[in-house]
Amino acid sequence: MSTTGHTTADRPSGRRPSAVDAGLNWLDDRLGVAKGGRVFMDKIFPDHWSFLLGEIALYSFVVLLATGVFLTLYFVPSTAQTVYHGVYKPLDGVKMSEAYASTVNISFAVRSGLVIRQMHHWAADVFIGSIAVHMCRIFFTGAFRKPRELNWIVGVSLLFLAIVNGFLGYSLPDDLISGTGIRIAYSILLSIPLVGSYLATFVFGGVFPGNGVIIPRFFILHVLVLPAIIAGLIGAHLFMLVRQKHTQFPGHGRTEDNVVGSPMFPTFMAKTTGFLFMVAGVLWALGGLAQINPIWQFGPYVPYKISYAVQPDWYMGWLDGALRIMPSWEFAGFGHTIPFEVFLPGVLFPGLTSILFIFWPFLEQKLTGDRAEHNLLDRPRDRPRRTAVGAAFLAFYFMLFCASSTDVLANFFQVSLNVVLWTFRFVVIVVPIIVGLFTYRICLDMTGAPRVGKRKRAVLIVRSATGEYTTVEAAPRPGDGHQELEPAPVPGFIQGPEDGEEREPGVRRVARRT
Amino acid sequence: MRNLRRTIRVRHLVPVGLVLAVAVGGLLVSLSAGASTRARTVPSGSQALAATPPPIRYVGNFTSSQVREGQLLFEANCSSCHGDRAQGAVGPNLQGLGPATVDFWVSTGRMPLADASVQATQKPPRFNGQQATAIAAFVASLAPTGQGFPSGIPHVDTRNASLAMGNRLFVLNCAACHTITGAGDALAAGAYAPSLHVATPTQVAEAIRTGPGNMPVFGSGTLSDAQVADIVAYVTGPIQHPNNRGGLGLGGIGPVAEGFVALLIGVGGIMLIAFWLGERA
Ligand code: HEC
Ligand code: HEC
Ligand code: HEM
Repeated sequence: MSTTGHTTADRPSGRRPSAVDAGLNWLDDRLGVAKGGRVFMDKIFPDHWSFLLGEIALYSFVVLLATGVFLTLYFVPSTAQTVYHGVYKPLDGVKMSEAYASTVNISFAVRSGLVIRQMHHWAADVFIGSIAVHMCRIFFTGAFRKPRELNWIVGVSLLFLAIVNGFLGYSLPDDLISGTGIRIAYSILLSIPLVGSYLATFVFGGVFPGNGVIIPRFFILHVLVLPAIIAGLIGAHLFMLVRQKHTQFPGHGRTEDNVVGSPMFPTFMAKTTGFLFMVAGVLWALGGLAQINPIWQFGPYVPYKISYAVQPDWYMGWLDGALRIMPSWEFAGFGHTIPFEVFLPGVLFPGLTSILFIFWPFLEQKLTGDRAEHNLLDRPRDRPRRTAVGAAFLAFYFMLFCASSTDVLANFFQVSLNVVLWTFRFVVIVVPIIVGLFTYRICLDMTGAPRVGKRKRAVLIVRSATGEYTTVEAAPRPGDGHQELEPAPVPGFIQGPEDGEEREPGVRRVARRT
Repeated sequence: MRNLRRTIRVRHLVPVGLVLAVAVGGLLVSLSAGASTRARTVPSGSQALAATPPPIRYVGNFTSSQVREGQLLFEANCSSCHGDRAQGAVGPNLQGLGPATVDFWVSTGRMPLADASVQATQKPPRFNGQQATAIAAFVASLAPTGQGFPSGIPHVDTRNASLAMGNRLFVLNCAACHTITGAGDALAAGAYAPSLHVATPTQVAEAIRTGPGNMPVFGSGTLSDAQVADIVAYVTGPIQHPNNRGGLGLGGIGPVAEGFVALLIGVGGIMLIAFWLGERA
């Protein structure tokens, strides 16, 4: 359908209905798809690149689903013990769970199993990473403000569900390192006052390591329950997005009451399909080129064995870091022990984090008193306080993430582990404050300075007849002023293209309320 | 018609080509990596032999010329710290530690020590194997080898060793300090367990039997000679030459490196693509 360069005059008038038209008509007669389809196809997407960040998450999720289905065909979710006699000789004759044995088999014996396994893992890491980046764009531009608070909450739920599902998946191979992770999760459950021991027994079906029920339970959560919820929430997320229409950056012809950008069909459809393949391509390249989680080197999980240098995947890093640098405080009395050193960082901290994230839009409304509807985005520098708070939070979680590798850092820089530990206890508090203040200052300075953020005009160096050199500013080049974003009129929703004036893919403007 | 052809410009094919190149490249490399590792199968040491030699031979009878050579080397390089009869001065008393201990510290380059304030580290050894043996012979000649130390320098025969057993014993006894991939890691208060990627079979056995520095001694009551040989086979086999199927090994330090790759190359790379696809203002 690439009709760029055509004018309507080129096209034969009175086009004969094609087979596609007939099929669509058939469907429309029965289901009335034309109206919804029109809304969908006329959905306008702002062209700014940061609006593609959410799509990275969406497409990594697609890759996760596809590769996950493949893995499900070969993975055996069971802790029943077997003796391994497979391709990988160092483990020959070792007793291990079926889960571990089948993962080694996927890596060594199943054709392209390892590429798919590694793709799945890289896709999970990228999925959660892109959610975080997407969330940053929503946060720093104020896209979460009224009327989009609900969608923000859906987004936060997606973030935490994705993290939980990542942890569950990481635990499935039952190797030594992930087994240690499950063990830590068990201890965290135990640390909850009053209900901890009951909860842990309930989840694990007994005292750790349970009666072999934990892997099957994690499996069904990981491949069915959570993906279904995540998929449902993504649906809700996108439904709300279409319903409320996109936000946009302020600019020429863009107001609170319109959206300027490319229509879903054909422009954005082409772009986004290409983007899907590129995301998949990058993940595929990572899966083929970079090793991730070589579980055959770790050996099967045995509760009394332990390896050093164990970290969880990066998205659990902030929790692991909090656990590591927490001083060992404990409350003992009344016949009970509350291990604060586990409970505070392991339960209370993520709990508070999620509550803060969920309620941020309302908190901000309370603080600023701004309860108006906003469809135009903020430039981060124009909201120095929000930007500073966001940057400080990012620094805080990044520091915690770094703290999850205390041992690696100590080893790499050849300093004492204790020194690294104490350094992080301070750094985690000091660095966010510095980053926050610094960001605040930069924002203020940027708003004050003229021409910051504008595209630089080319400079010509001119030599005069006498040999003197002078610089003059060049005339604006086409594109410098973004005239291409000039809005063009579009037809209303239900009208077909026959009676509309605008057939070209290109920039359109639609009214927000119909 | 001419119009139409003009519209399909090369520029429009760039994204398609890029994706194809990336995908096909990844596929090819991963397949070839798989094929090459498949060809290089891991040696298994469990062929039965007719007459089984002992898994470890402890060589402890040295010639007098070795002792004399060792004395010269010791006096020139070690006596300033350990005293001329190895009775101890700045450095500890070495008498009775046995030849294996001395051979380990010298052949791994730990001795002679450069800086007494930190844990002695592996560094390129100053002496060759023969000279190290001579120094060990001299120190051993000074006093009878003490209780619990091996009487000679261990020579390990890994032909009958079991990698599977070695794996199990390694995870059980060594991974807690040296990590599961043998990359080594920091222990408490400035001490660290070194990487196992350069140790020779003899050095691994010496380390196990003599427990250098903060490492515990694993005596013959804890690990039999056959078990030590299993561990040695595992360390000098899969640990030092890991089966890095599936691409770049990323240093064997696990999720930290993986996280950075995922965020910088994965998310970062895709963001660059988004930046290229989208408008910038
Ligand atoms: C600069 C002083 C110095 C020199 C020179 C030196 N050493 Fe040492 N040596 C030490 C110190 C200090 C220790 C204890 C280090 C430790 O435990 O990390 C030590 C430890 C040792 C040990 C281990 C003792 C034990 O208890 O396990 C041996 C064996 C040893 N040295 C042999 C040698 C030999 C052989 C030489 C000569 C090639 C040598 N040293 C040269 C200072 C020195
Ligand atoms: C308590 C922790 C700990 C355990 C358990 C441990 N080691 Fe060590 N190991 C160390 C430390 C610490 C050193 C460094 C000693 C020094 O240089 O002072 C070391 C050094 C070594 C070295 C010397 C490396 C080199 O090239 O210099 C080898 C080989 C070694 N260990 C093997 C083993 C094996 C095999 C096991 C299991 C049977 C094991 N270690 C168990 C802590 C440990
Ligand atoms: C499974 C994970 C997620 C997927 C697949 C996803 C996908 C998307 C997509 C494709 C869009 C439209 C394009 C865009 O604006 O980037 C979008 C918009 C949005 N997302 Fe997400 N997202 C996810 C997680 C999140 C998270 C974690 C948040 C915030 C905490 C969030 C908040 C929002 C909001 C508020 C919008 C509307 C923005 C606007 O109208 O400009 N989403 N999401």
